[in-house]
Amino acid sequence: MIYSSINFQAAPFSYSLEFADRITLVRGDSATGKTYLYQMLEDLRLTEEYHAIKLYNYKSEDFHENLLKCRDRFIVIDNGDLLLNNEDRRFINFESSNQYMLFLRNCDGLNLSADSFMLLREEKYMVTLERELAAV
Amino acid sequence: MIYVYTTKQDSENWILQNDWYFNLYTSNEDFSEEEKKIIEMIDHARLTEDKHIETKYGLGTLRNLSSGCKTLLNVMKNPGKVVNIEECGKNVLDVLFSMDDIHVYLSRPERIHIDKNTEICFDQKDIVVGLQGFEQWWTEEYARRDLDDL
Repeated sequence: MIYSSINFQAAPFSYSLEFADRITLVRGDSATGKTYLYQMLEDLRLTEEYHAIKLYNYKSEDFHENLLKCRDRFIVIDNGDLLLNNEDRRFINFESSNQYMLFLRNCDGLNLSADSFMLLREEKYMVTLERELAAV
Repeated sequence: MIYVYTTKQDSENWILQNDWYFNLYTSNEDFSEEEKKIIEMIDHARLTEDKHIETKYGLGTLRNLSSGCKTLLNVMKNPGKVVNIEECGKNVLDVLFSMDDIHVYLSRPERIHIDKNTEICFDQKDIVVGLQGFEQWWTEEYARRDLDDL
């Protein structure tokens, strides 16, 4: 894991994101703040502590080529359903030096565990990741 | 009738990138009271007269709406177009499937509340009714895909 957790303040919100799998899918309802979080991470990645964060969304140029070059990165992909093709999904499965947080609904072709599926939850301005699937 | 297309097409009549299309085109149109209510319901945002939005994240512009809300508005504002709804959460999908005469692209089944009388036409050929018909169609579609090794 590159980061087991990411913690930062973005007033009035506090973020405390804990990761339990190398691949985290953030899903749930629309308008829960996924893209807002992505925008926060654009600033956070400029700090020394979080410089391993690499961000992609629908505006990213040469997405597929650049993704395949990533090593030892915490990769965040917004608009994953638009961007990810089968080759990208294979790369995510097998390039284990990277960790991923994917804003993605279609999980076909990805090697995931129950710990991979997360929802973004905000309560009293505290934003966390909550497991989407109940433990069996 | 809700028209669902399950194979992606690169056509001028399709909206595949909802954020991009909304930011450049749909956001420049005027919004009805019904559409303002949609913005409030999905994003808990209030649209002001000068086209700003007020949300818990602060004051923004229409560009700051969620992708799901933009998708819903793209559907409402572009009735002749096929709109990609793959990025929508259940809250938006439930609203979409309560509408009539819309054309959407969805390549996989999703958990959606569908009224028992709602008619759905898949790929311009198969017509089913209600949630049961929707789920049954996808079960058969996955069997077809297995046979075709897709």
